[in-house]
Amino acid sequence: MTDIKHHAYLFDATRCIDCRACMVACSVENNIPMNKTRIWVAGLGVTGEFPNLQRSTMVYHCMHCAHPDCMSACPVGAYTKAEDGPVTYNPDKCIGCRYCMNACPFGVPHFDYDKGLIDGAFIDKCTFCPQRIYNGQEPACVQTCPTDALEYGDRDELIKRAHERIAAHPGRYIDHVYGEFENGGTSYLILSHVPFEQLGLPTLPETPINEVSEKVMAMTIPFALGWGAVLTAVSAGVALYEKKKNGKAAEEKAEPAETSK
Amino acid sequence: MKLNLTLPKFLRIGTLPLVLIVLAAIAVVVAMARYAYGIGAISDLSYSYPWGFWISFDLFTGVVISSGGFLMAGTVYILRIKEFQPLLRPAVLTALLGYIMVAVALLVDLGQPLRIWYMMIYWNHTSVLLEIGICVMSYLTVLAIEFAPVVMERFPKLHKAAHFIHKFIMPFVILGVVLSTLHQSSLGSLLLIQPQKLHPLWWTPILPILFFTSAIAVGLAMIILESSLSSRYFQRGLETRLLAKLAKAIPVVLVVYALIKFGDLIVAGDLGYLFTSGWMSVLFWAEILIGVVFPIVWFSVEKNRVNPNALLTGAVVTLLGLILNRFNVSWFAVKHPDPLFYLPTFMGNVKYFPTLPEVAVSIGIFSAGILAFGLIAKYFPVFEDEGRAAHAGD
Repeated sequence: MTDIKHHAYLFDATRCIDCRACMVACSVENNIPMNKTRIWVAGLGVTGEFPNLQRSTMVYHCMHCAHPDCMSACPVGAYTKAEDGPVTYNPDKCIGCRYCMNACPFGVPHFDYDKGLIDGAFIDKCTFCPQRIYNGQEPACVQTCPTDALEYGDRDELIKRAHERIAAHPGRYIDHVYGEFENGGTSYLILSHVPFEQLGLPTLPETPINEVSEKVMAMTIPFALGWGAVLTAVSAGVALYEKKKNGKAAEEKAEPAETSK
Repeated sequence: MKLNLTLPKFLRIGTLPLVLIVLAAIAVVVAMARYAYGIGAISDLSYSYPWGFWISFDLFTGVVISSGGFLMAGTVYILRIKEFQPLLRPAVLTALLGYIMVAVALLVDLGQPLRIWYMMIYWNHTSVLLEIGICVMSYLTVLAIEFAPVVMERFPKLHKAAHFIHKFIMPFVILGVVLSTLHQSSLGSLLLIQPQKLHPLWWTPILPILFFTSAIAVGLAMIILESSLSSRYFQRGLETRLLAKLAKAIPVVLVVYALIKFGDLIVAGDLGYLFTSGWMSVLFWAEILIGVVFPIVWFSVEKNRVNPNALLTGAVVTLLGLILNRFNVSWFAVKHPDPLFYLPTFMGNVKYFPTLPEVAVSIGIFSAGILAFGLIAKYFPVFEDEGRAAHAGD
């Protein structure tokens, strides 16, 4: 199992039976209360007309993006992206500003709105079960899934497997692996039989969302130095001009006085 | 029998200060409840709406209405237009108190208020919020230095120190202007990371430029407002001639702002949204008509610039319109993931509407700020005519 270069999940919406065992497994494994689960399963109801009925279920999960927006947004760097996939959160640095919740296009990070100063209010999100994956086990949610709707493995392999499955069952899937390119690539890949918007997933560009703000941020220091230099030059210039003008004014004042003599 | 209700002299206060004290006290009580039971206990913030009224009002509005400080400091010290000197001190004081209010409000809004100083030691250089945090903290220091001479002048023993600060004020003024430029614009950059959430009528890569430009107009309007109100309350003279000059600058700034804004919409090809986005279009036009078109027209008429009442009216309307812009960008036009789809119902409110305690916190902090302004203006030489009177008395 140690040959996994880039840890990833594959979720197949056609296989999910809405049993929610993954939610329970996650809460038990990570010792978190059920009302703060890191996975959330939503039965999206029955669609279509009889007899062609269809029901779909979506398992929402941290996407472990290649370019995480939570990490880009966090002022104190409480998030880290491991080279082998997982995006993790460090509560020891968090100041509770909740900018990561705004930044995440998937609405993943959660916050302890019910905790005061003494308990400490923190963000919570999926950790990718490091205690399991680095010991040769699958993440808790994957291991417990009875229908293999959730799978775990190397990202490249899972993408290959997803495309093979689409090819093997023509007509069953939308011909797209969500997360292969979205937001610069994610480590939670999704296969679906209904359009991805119907699963509540945002339509995202292939370029990372945080590209614009990171570009602007990179200009900050050069801009500050340049602007500071301009202001210094202006103030020096104005001071010089004023001195000259005052000098001239003094001379002019003096001159008529002399000529009048 | 007659009750003797006369209070000792130092306890006698006017109605306005009394109301302000009560409002501030309510905020303290509400904040205590928040610290004991969590943010969810007093606010409607949720997983879907992590930022709400506090961020829009305390942070976005609080910072932008404090922009008069760097404008006046830049005008008087860098451009050396000395005639604006009488407006400098009140503007710096407004900015100083404004930023203190922002910091206090953040202490309520942050999940870990005791760790606010972590921003000084843990730096994530890609974070816009870090830039704002650092700038606000540094600028608060700069403002304190700029304002310190006013406090020192009150005590004859400190006159030397005041003179010393005054001598070396230039680097701080320049630093203040740079820091202000950075964080006034960065408030707009905060939304750059949410292109799929903020409505396209507002989301643009040049949000920081728009924020900075409109902050100048807000700063000018704010100086007019604060001078007008304090002249009424303290019954002192109004610098109408100077305020008229500021009012004349507002249309210039706003025309530039409008050109950038609409130019950007044209380039981005978003003009279609102007009339087709329902409430979003209404909010956009409200913001443009109240905060841009009205002030351009109003302050272009000379009659309105020399009449104290018209000046005040114009400034208030301008502020309302441009503050609506901040609310739009940070709240009204931000589309949060639809929780019906997105989250199990127990996880988030479908809608967000600020609760009474939430608003009470902001109002209380604001009241304390006004009270502090009044007290400082009363006991320290903030307004020049008073200062002169004091010196004449010496």
